[in-house]
This record gives sequence, C-alpha cells and structure tokens, in this order.
Amino acid sequence: MKTLRALLRNPQGAAGLVLCTLVLFAALFGPAIAPNDPETFHFGARFAGPSAEFPLGTDWYGRDLLSRVLVGARSTVLLALLATFIGTVAGALIGVVSGYLGGVMDEILMRLTDAVMAIPSLLFALMILAALGSSALNAVLAIGIAFAPGMARIARSVTLQVRSLDYVAAAKARGESLPWIVGAEILPNTIAPVIVEGTIRVAFAIMTLATLSFLGLGAQPPSPEWGLMIAEARDHLFRSPWPVAVPGAAIALVAIGFNLLGDGLRDVLNPKTGDHA
Amino acid sequence: MTPVLSLRDYALHYDTFTGPVRILDDISLDIGRGEVLGLVGESGSAKSSLANAVIRDLPGRVHDEHGTIKLTGDDISTLPEPALAALRGRRIAMVFQNAATTLDPVQTLGDHLLETLGRHTQLDATGRRARAIELLDMVGLPDPTAMLDRYPHEVSGGEKQRVVLALAFGCEPELILFDEPTSALDATTAATLLDLFRDLQARTGVSALFISHDLGTVAEIAHRVAVIYGGRIVEEGPTQTIFAAPQHPYTQALMASLPRPSDGKLARGLATSGARPAPRRGEMPPCLFSASCPHHLPEVCDAQRVRPVDVGDRQIACARVARGETLPAPAAPAPLVSPRTTDVVIEARDLSVSYGNRSLADMLRGRDGAVVRAVRDVNFRLHRGETLALVGESGCGKSSLARALSGLRGFTGETLLNGLPTAPDSAAWRARVQTIFQNPDSSLNPRHSLATILARPLRLFRPDLSRAARSAEIERLLERVHLPGDYASRYPHQLSGGEKQRVAIARALAAEPDVIVCDEITSGLDAAVQAAIVRLLRDIQTSTGAALVFITHDLGILRHVADRVAVMYLGEMVETCEIAALDAAPWHPYTEALLSSSHSVDPGSDTRRVRLQGSLPKRTEDLTGCPFASRCPRHIGPECDSLRPPLRAPEPGHDILCHLSDAALNEVPPIWQFKTSDTTRTTP
Repeated sequence: MKTLRALLRNPQGAAGLVLCTLVLFAALFGPAIAPNDPETFHFGARFAGPSAEFPLGTDWYGRDLLSRVLVGARSTVLLALLATFIGTVAGALIGVVSGYLGGVMDEILMRLTDAVMAIPSLLFALMILAALGSSALNAVLAIGIAFAPGMARIARSVTLQVRSLDYVAAAKARGESLPWIVGAEILPNTIAPVIVEGTIRVAFAIMTLATLSFLGLGAQPPSPEWGLMIAEARDHLFRSPWPVAVPGAAIALVAIGFNLLGDGLRDVLNPKTGDHA
Repeated sequence: MTPVLSLRDYALHYDTFTGPVRILDDISLDIGRGEVLGLVGESGSAKSSLANAVIRDLPGRVHDEHGTIKLTGDDISTLPEPALAALRGRRIAMVFQNAATTLDPVQTLGDHLLETLGRHTQLDATGRRARAIELLDMVGLPDPTAMLDRYPHEVSGGEKQRVVLALAFGCEPELILFDEPTSALDATTAATLLDLFRDLQARTGVSALFISHDLGTVAEIAHRVAVIYGGRIVEEGPTQTIFAAPQHPYTQALMASLPRPSDGKLARGLATSGARPAPRRGEMPPCLFSASCPHHLPEVCDAQRVRPVDVGDRQIACARVARGETLPAPAAPAPLVSPRTTDVVIEARDLSVSYGNRSLADMLRGRDGAVVRAVRDVNFRLHRGETLALVGESGCGKSSLARALSGLRGFTGETLLNGLPTAPDSAAWRARVQTIFQNPDSSLNPRHSLATILARPLRLFRPDLSRAARSAEIERLLERVHLPGDYASRYPHQLSGGEKQRVAIARALAAEPDVIVCDEITSGLDAAVQAAIVRLLRDIQTSTGAALVFITHDLGILRHVADRVAVMYLGEMVETCEIAALDAAPWHPYTEALLSSSHSVDPGSDTRRVRLQGSLPKRTEDLTGCPFASRCPRHIGPECDSLRPPLRAPEPGHDILCHLSDAALNEVPPIWQFKTSDTTRTTP
C-alpha cells in the first residue's frame, strides 16, 4: 500500500500505473466492453477510417479494429506478462546465487547462461517449441527461458557490487544462513534494476510472441492477437494504415506504460529516494 | 595591494525539488599575495561548495547567487564560460582530494602535463616537454623523464598527488584551491606532501585556499584560518592565535573535541558537545549557531542578524564577542578511565593471513601463484575490559587481521577464546566476538529498518528472548547508544553518520559480546562525533567489561580510547606498548615517523620532523630482512636488509622489532616540545 501511494506521488510512476491499469482492464474485461464482435466481417466498410460505428476503423475484412484490440489484449498482454515473470524470477535467482557464491559455481552458471545467450532468443524459442510442441503456453515458457540469461547477467552484476558491502560481511560474521543472506540481505538490494529491466522486457515479450504467432507457432488467425494482427495487416499497409497502426499503437502504449511504471518503481523501491518516513 | 582572491557578501542558494536551499551566505574573505588561507569545517559545512563557487563550477541548479568574487581585481562571478575556461588552470588551479580519480587512467602522466601547458602557454613542443620534466622534478619525483611516459596506475598514490600538484603549479597560477588534498593519503605520505607544498608555496609565492576538515593539517600549512559553519564563516584570523585562543563558541567546541599529542601528559579529555547541523531552509535565526551555543543569550544574540565583525586580530560572527565579552571555552572533561583487568579473553598465536590464488596456468605449470602475506606471524593477548589499538597505514594488514578475527577471512595460526582453542568462524566465537565496520553507510542494510537490523543478532545469539522481550531489548539497545527508542522503525538513510555508527555499535552490543572488533569506526566522522563515539565505547566497556580491538590509522584519537597499542607495518607488529609509552622514546623508527606525521594542534608546540623516503617493497616479495628497511630513517647497515630484526624489550610490556640496540632506541630525542605555559584551558 505504501509503495502504491508513493508510486502515485511519482509523476512517471503515476502515468505508468494509469496506463498499465487501463491495459490490464482491457485484458480482463476486453470482450465485455468491445462495441462489436471482433470477427464479424463488414464488407461495406472495408478499410474504413475512424467513425462513430468503428471508433478506430476497420481492417481488410471490415472487422472492427477497436474490438479486435480490446479482445486481443487478453492473450497478448497476459501471456507477455507471464513470460516476462518466468524469465525475471528464474534469471534473478540464478544471477544472485551465482554472484553471491562466486568461484566455480559462478563460472559454471555463467558459462551456461553465456551458451544460452549465444543463441538468438527467437531461435531459442523456436527450438523449445520444436521440442515441446507449439501452443501458446509453450511459447510463453520458451520466451521466459530465453529471457532468463539476460536477467541473470543483470542480477549477477548488481549482486557483485552488493556482495562486497559490509552489511553482507556483517551478516556472514554473525553466522547468518545462506537463505537469509541471499534472500534478505542481497536480493532486496538487487531487485530494483531487475524490476526495471523486467518491465522493459514486457514489450519485447509482446513482440516475440507476435513473431512466433506470425511464424505459425503461437496464436493462429483469426485470433486478434496484436502481433498477429500487425503481421497480417502488413500486406494491406498501402491501402490503409489503420490495421497496422492500431495494434502497433496498442503495443507502444503497453511498452510505454510498463517503462514508466518501471522508472517509477525504481525510484520508489530505492529506500534513499522513496519515502518510508 | 589588491588581494589575489576577494569575496564580498557572497551568497549561494541552490534549487532542489523541495525548495531553495541556502548553501553559502555572508561570505567575505581576502587572500593576499603569497598567503595560504585554511578553510576548516565539519562535513556539510559547504566548504567544498566555496571552492566550487570560486572556480565557477557549480554542481547544483543555482536559485540565487549574489556578491562578488574578484581574482586580482577582476570580477569573475559574471564571466561567460569561454573566458572561464581560459582562466581555469592558468590563473586558478585546483587540487582535488582523490588523485586517483583526478588523473585520466588512459593518459600518461606526461600527457596530462603537456595538455595543460599546450592549452595555456605559448611554448613549443620541446619547450613544453622541458617544462613538464622541470615540473615533475620540482615536485620531487625521481627520474622525471621516465615518469612522463608512465600511466597513473603505475605510480603510487602519493606520487599521483605529486603529479596533480605539478599540474596545479604548471602554469604558475595566482591561486590554487586545495580541496582536502591529503585526506585520502596515509599520514606519512601526507606529511611529505605538505612539506613539499609548503616549500613550493614559499618558492613560487602562490596564494592558496586550503580546505580541510582536519585542523591539524591546516595548522601546519595555513597563515590564516577561516572556520566555516553551516555556510557562514564564524571566525577568521591568524592561525597561531586562533588555535591558541579560539573565541567563537563553535570554534571553541571544535578545538575542545580535537585530540592533541599532549593529552596524555595533561590528562585532557575530549569534549563531545558537537554542533547540530545549521538550518539550511526557510527563515534563518539571527545567529546560525544559537541552537547549539552554550553562551546563547536571547536578548543579545537574537536582536539582529549576526555578521562577522573585527575583534582584535580577527573577524568573528558572534554578538556577545562583538560586545567585547570573552566567552569561556568549554572545560575539558576528565579523561575516561579504563576498566581493564588481567584475564585474557582472546589470544592469537602466530596468526598469518595471506591473499592470492593459484591461477589455472600456474597450477598446470606446477608452481605457486603470487601470494601476498597481509598479516605475518602476529601474536597478541587481549584482556577483559581492555582496548588494544592496531595502528598502521593502508596495507599494513590491520584490516586483514580484523577480518580474520571476525571469521571472514581464512588464516593460519591459532586463536584462543577464554583459554580454549576456538576458530573465529565457529558459533562459539561468533557469539562472543562482534565486529563493527568502518563505514556505517555500507554496514547497515539500507532495506532494513533499525528494528530488523538489531533483531537479527538477538534472534541468533539470544534465541531464548520472546518476541516482546526482543522489541523491549531493541529499545534498550538504542537507548544504550543514546538514540531515542522510537528510532526502531526508521531506516538507515534517515540517520546522520554518527547516528548510523551508533546503530552499528548497538548491533554489536546485542550479542552481549566479550570482544568487539572496531575496524576504523571513527574514520569518516567529524571530531565531536568521533569524541562522542569514543566516550560511548568507554562507557560500554565499563558497564559490560568488553574488550576492544580498535583499528585506526589516526594516532590522535588513540590516547582517548586505547590502553595498549600495536603498530603494524607490512603485516607485522613492529611495536607493542602501553599507550602512555608513545609519549616518549623508545620508539620503533616507524612509530617515530608515524607520530611525527600526525599533525599537532597543540598551540605553540613544536614537532620534530621525521619523514620517510624510499618506497614500499613489493607485497609479494619474501623479505629476508626488516620489512621497514627500505624506508627506515635509522637504517644502520646491511643487517637491516638481510636479517630478521630481533624482538627487543626496552622495558617490560614494550616490544620493539628492530636491529637498533635498546640504548640506541632510548636515546632518540622527543618528538614534541610543548610550551608548558599553556595549560590553563586544558586543566580538567
């Protein structure tokens, strides 16, 4: 609660929070508030611009873009959030443990993450999907695993700084257990950059999911998944910009929202700038 | 004659998110040609901001700035940036605290000098090079031609600061600003650097503003001293008389909390009444110091805004002094009594700590990697209620020894706790031996409230306490270190430096330990806070009987906290003695140099100069002779370089590791000559 109130006082945080709440609202209640059916063709109104009937215009089949975007929010945003969450948690844990333990364990873990990072994340996701079979949930898992090494790197570099600080030495000198040192002394001090990076990655996750959909390994037409919408609308770009612009703007809005939220959280989570008094 | 630097009614306010903040105001001062003005103040007194203002490089967003800053008659406070760029380095030079970050690591030392000379002089390439060599020679660097091609990481810290000094003197400026130039250096290095500066200053006749928190350093170097408090100068005058008879209550309090070499002889304790931070925002009281002033008289002090006025040989910003009153300096409290006993709590036998690892390549070739022996065969005993001080400069192994005693670093040798062999990383040792770290900013987790910080050791070492008993104990611990009990819900960043260190002390006390290892715990603190912490430690010792291992590089404070001293040099304890034995010979030659380098603020005292030449041996070398042989001013011959020195005991309980005979050690003349007349202000 305290964090939330502090976040609302922070201009970036407040803007991010508002945008993200809107997006989450769309994700949860999109189908209920959509003015039209997202899959009904209106052949009389193909490539229509914004109007009272179609607030954001229509696509090449005359489907209402606003409704499609609202309905598509659920699959797009929630899946992206889930993928980022998996990648962030796994990566942060690997990074903090690796950074704290150091030595041989650090070498082994970091060389493994290097090996994963050496493969382009899309290719890596394809590999996992090939192994697990293509489904939306497997795509989420694949993106999560592909994100983990980058997160691990960030978490590790912060951990290396924190590890050398005296409060960790003080905890060691008191004879604290490893879970306490990692969980209570180090992790809270490394979490801010990890969260900031995580919120930025949500946008990447949306794009990667869209790419997978485009390749036929994620969502399938006529699903209103945003990435898929853009991929499909490419062919009609010169006849009307709306089918590309609307889902594109939705993705941009989500990305901006999460970035602002990330910046706000970074300030609020820092005990020196945040207000705990 | 026009003063080189002249500030008139200078004031500076910065804009922050929470409104304007007063940084400096009412600043008027002059520095004459060839004069060194020392500017002293505690942390947060805006002394560095004054230097920033003079060099016209303000780091904050300026809300309001007025008054004039004149450099030899030219007002520079309104100059545009290009004119300032031509001015800086040529007419005003600056020497910063940290030479390691002042020099660019990817440029050679020569590049630094040639660039400055190229920018501000008409010399051609050969001329510049000749001048660079001349400058390096002038600052006493050996082999200046070779130095030109070295990179900053290839020379020592003292040598780097010499190069910075050469840079400052390079274009023969009118004024040099020194911002804590020796604070980051070891005492013996700082002393040689100050000697060098004094010599260069006398030769070139440059004027200087010398900023430092260390009054001892300023006393050595400055002709006049200005004391700054809360962004205003409270007292300014000739160094000699200000140190002998401070008149402003703030200066008096500052001096009373400073340790002096004569303290042991005169049985003078340190005053702990520090000044509260001056107000920075909103309406200013007529006198900034009134909230902390023991002589505050509302009808006099609050009548009108207090400004500096001429009183005798100096300027003082105090309404009562301006009326002609002489305010008595605070009486020095009685020194603290040590509760030492004779039962041994911990004992270390042949303790050695080494660093270094075998790389894979070394392992394959079957050879050992380079090993640094940080601590070497150290033996000592610590008695209940006693304070053993470990003194030495950076790299002498004192912190490694502390880490070994805290169980944070492996070592060889034996440690005994209450007579039983106990390893420092065992639970039994950890419950009895606690550590306080140097920097409370990093030793307190910023994410934990004080309650969490103090609850952890209670949970670990006193598991029988119930939840309610634990929170009562947390409150008691905070009160034990003179902090309000309701601080428990605060976070470390809401506390001042001194308060944070008190929390760290409370955390160590939570375990009710027998021994507390204090690793440089007063180093970053202002004098009054340091004196208060030292008094607190003594109090705690008296009530709990805890023994302290007090690690420091500052010899001044030792007389107020320690019972015995161990002087360390390159990992060895070269001298161990009672604290009182430091006041007179015999000394190990290193101790002698160290004592001579710690600046005395004793008015009218004379310090015999012992300065160290030569360089430290490589840390990875296995020395066959005395570790101090390469820098020893009392080097007697080849045995110093080839034979391990014998352990001499010129008197009982006094060990010196040296080739010099007892007789020779005893004959060393005293370091300080005190004026005996000046005891009036220091009698308890």
